[in-house]
Order: sequence, then structure tokens, then C-alpha cells
Amino acid sequence: MFKSLTEKNERRNQLSIMAQYLNTNFMINTVENEYLINIEKGVVTSVQEGPFVMPSYVFKLTAPKDEWLKFFQPIPQPGSHDIIAMLRRKVLKFEGDLHPLMSHLLYFKLLLASLRPVENKNEN
Amino acid sequence: MKIEKEPISGQYGKFKIDGIDYRIYWEEAGQGIPLVCLHTAGSDGRQYRALLNDKKILERFRVIVFDMPWHGKSSPPENAKIQNYKLSTDFYISQIMSFINGLELIKPVVMGCSIGGRIILHLAIHFPDKFRALIGLQSAGHLDPYYDISWLHRQDVHGGEVCGGIAYGLMAPTSPESDKFETMWHYMQGGPGIFKGDLFFYKFDGNIGNEIKKIDNSKCPIYLLTGEYDYSATPEETKSLADTIGIEMIKMKNVGHFPMSENPKEFLEYLHPVLNKIS
Repeated sequence: MFKSLTEKNERRNQLSIMAQYLNTNFMINTVENEYLINIEKGVVTSVQEGPFVMPSYVFKLTAPKDEWLKFFQPIPQPGSHDIIAMLRRKVLKFEGDLHPLMSHLLYFKLLLASLRPVENKNEN
Repeated sequence: MKIEKEPISGQYGKFKIDGIDYRIYWEEAGQGIPLVCLHTAGSDGRQYRALLNDKKILERFRVIVFDMPWHGKSSPPENAKIQNYKLSTDFYISQIMSFINGLELIKPVVMGCSIGGRIILHLAIHFPDKFRALIGLQSAGHLDPYYDISWLHRQDVHGGEVCGGIAYGLMAPTSPESDKFETMWHYMQGGPGIFKGDLFFYKFDGNIGNEIKKIDNSKCPIYLLTGEYDYSATPEETKSLADTIGIEMIKMKNVGHFPMSENPKEFLEYLHPVLNKIS
């Protein structure tokens, strides 16, 4: 579900500029599965799919798979169009050390939105 | 080279607010019924750039937009120091009334968005006779915090980056990217702690409970318009507010929390009929 974050690096050059000093790793949990994502200088260098025995990560975003699928719609519905909107509806949870996320909030929003179909205008 | 000039003029003036002098910047265009517009938390009057350029509106309305103290081109008060800025309900009301009195506006229409959409409710409760009409964009009677706003003002996080990131998500995916970018850019230019300080009003001090029932629409007509993509003040919350007041609300499609700035074309389609009723 999130594996293509690395494949899309090439057309996300502009996005990397927004996070050129960012080195972190984080977990995305879909309840059914987990994805461990590593970022170096704003570039997604790896996405590992779980299950994991002893994963080490800085922060974690948890939402059910169907909520992530709503977020990935070309034009998402109100309440599913943004991760803070999902937080507001209490279907998404932020956990861990949130400093890398909050200090690069727009970067992470656009990174995740880049998984939407290309025709979506939201994608930078 | 011929440039495309806009009909807007900007001006500075000194206003006494709660006994203290403030240097305030405002822009205006048009003639007729005064229409004072209030920007959102942590932003400034540029949000109303489309309204200030709309020929139809300018024929009948004198559109006036001021930057709140500490915002945009308005200065902090004299002898100000970096402080824990917090917008209170009383101070917000004082600055609006000082501005209106300072410009000697008689029974203006006031339109506010977000925190502006909240304060018009306070104006309706306390000063219904002073206004020709009140328009609330993204109005809700109260808002409980749904994220930790301390992230908006920390020395180890760039305030412009995080405030821009928060504002971006409040807009509709269907709004034009160029207008969304400009709206976000205003947030990226705010002073340290100002957006967070405004939210003190929005999420705590300015919350209205049962006092909403004091609003009498027959004394001063109220119009409420809310964008469908707003998750801060949702259409459902505006509907509940409208039901309490006993009026209809207008749900705007394809816009979020900043209708006048993120998608002016769509917004003006909704606003024109409202202004027609008022004029």
C-alpha cells in the first residue's frame, strides 16, 4: 500500500527540497499491516512491509486501511483529504516523537498525497 | 510597460484600542455600504484580495479590510516585546469597534471568517443595533482542541513552515493550487506565536455556550456560509449554530476553511446573492 513511496522519488524532487535536512524513519500502521519508512535528506530510501518483531522508529501514524484508501482517492471526500482532518475525526493517531513530523508537516502531507493518482491537482 | 492596476488603496492610521495606541493598516475599494472584512487567525487582509477587486461588489459596497494588530502590515503596540500573545474576546471586540469608530462608519456590514466568523456572533449578542448585517464564514459557536497547538510556536520548529502546513490541509483539494499557495503563504509570513495566540480566542476564550440563544436575527440579520471541506468549523457545526439562531445556513461546495482566499471564484457565487439581500 505504501511501497510505491520509493518508486515515486524521481517525480518528487521538489518535495525533497522541503526536507533536505530530514533524516528519520517512521511507521505507518493500517491495523492489518505495518510499513517502516526510512527517509534520508528528504528522500524515501526504503519502505519495508511488516510484520515486524522489533521495529525501531521515531513516530507512528495509525489508521484503518479503509481510511487510508479514502485518503488516496483522486479527490478525497471532506474529512479524508488531510491527515489532520483524519486526526480530527479520530480515525488517525499520531504517536511517538512527533518533532520530525510537525517540523515538516507540509512535506509529510504532500508525501502521502503523492500516492494519489497522478491527475490529482493536490500533488506537487 | 502598462501594468494592471487594482482599485485598492492602502492606508495606515493610529487607533486607540483599550487605551493603547496601535498603528493599523487597512485596504479599501468601492463605494456605498461599508463592508468590513475580518481575516482568519494568523493571517492578514490579503485574504480578501478578490473581494476588493470584484466590480459587482464595489459598485454598491465600500469594502474595507484591516490587518489585526500584530498581523500583516499592522504593527505591534508601541514598546511591544516578544511575549506570549493571546487574543482575548474583549480585545478582539475592542479592535473591531475602534476601527469602525475611527473610520466613522455608520451601521456597516461586518463579515468575518473563522475567528472572524466567531467574533461576529459576539457582535450579534452585544451590539446588534450597530450593524446593518453580519456575515459569518466558517462560523461555529465553539471548538474543542483537536491537535496540540503548542507545535505552532516552538523555537525548535519553524513557525512559518508548521503554520503553513496546518493551513494547507484546511483547504479543499478542488481549490485552485495558485490560490491555495497564496493562502498558505500568508500563514508562512506570520509572526512567531501569533497564529497560536489567535487560537486562544478560537478554542478557549471565544467559545460561546448558551449565549448563542441571545442572538436575535430580527435586530440584525445574520448570514452563515461554510465550506464543505472545513474540518475546523464543519458545516455540521454551522448548521447547529444556524438552527439555534433560527436561520438557514449556506453550505459551500468545493471550498474549505478560507473560501474568499482559496477559491474566490466559487465563493463569490455564494456571496453575491447574500449581498444582494443586504443592499
